[in-house]
Amino acid sequence: MDAQLVQCLTESTCEVFRTMVACDLEPGTPLLGEAAQPRSHVVGTVGFGGSRLGLVAFHGSLDAAREIAGRLLGISAGEVRGEIADAIGEVTNMIAGSFRTRMAGRGESWAISIPTVTVGTDFSITPRGYGQRAVLPFRMPNHGDLFVELLLTSR
Amino acid sequence: MRVLVVDDSSTMRRIIINTLVKLGHQDFAEAANGLEGLERAAEGVFDLIITDWNMPGMSGLEFIRTLRAQPSERRIPVLMVTTNAAKDDIVEALRAGVDNYVIKPFTPDTIREKIDAVTGRAA
Ligand SMILES: [Mg+2]
Repeated sequence: MDAQLVQCLTESTCEVFRTMVACDLEPGTPLLGEAAQPRSHVVGTVGFGGSRLGLVAFHGSLDAAREIAGRLLGISAGEVRGEIADAIGEVTNMIAGSFRTRMAGRGESWAISIPTVTVGTDFSITPRGYGQRAVLPFRMPNHGDLFVELLLTSR
Repeated sequence: MRVLVVDDSSTMRRIIINTLVKLGHQDFAEAANGLEGLERAAEGVFDLIITDWNMPGMSGLEFIRTLRAQPSERRIPVLMVTTNAAKDDIVEALRAGVDNYVIKPFTPDTIREKIDAVTGRAA
């Protein structure tokens, strides 16, 4: 995996959380290849295509997702009801969009898709036909680990 | 001031409306894509339109192009709020008739300044 991609995606994720969620994430060491399989309750995905083809996926626990939604909406986590999916979709959209802009400054030209969100308790993502994979762990203070996954299609 | 907020994310519409409320505005209409935006714009008089770019159905760019192509007595100020922040994106949006641009993620100060700038309240 291109180190620039990992660095730009890390910066984008931290920026979205600092600016919109008022939260300083602590990035961990990226895991490359098939080793890491984040088990999460809430997953947002945004695809991108153009000079490269792939997917950005945001993974979080239900507790973390509720906290994020509450902070975005300006309400307490306990008041969050049906807003989780939309909030995580928009967080994923902002991460993927900032990532796209950063990579555009490095000569890449992509379009990104509308976000998709899955909320559940017993599922994992099994990518097929993806060339490269990186999982970026982040610690959200008091709310455990979040993961941002990058899948690239080889051409 | 009556504001039309167009974004496919209800969360983002809420964030924008929360900011507008803090600025003292109270009169809003919402739409989830460009087509709904055109419908709302045809129904009422607005002093400001705040729109996203990437939306299913009709995008914000198409929405503003269509709106600007319609005969109208006044030109409603348009603020675009989007993650699309590459140089070419901004040029395309301004060509389509967008007056100012806020890049997501944004701070409350940024969106406040841009709202004031497009509504002519800037110092
Ligand atoms: Mg959108």
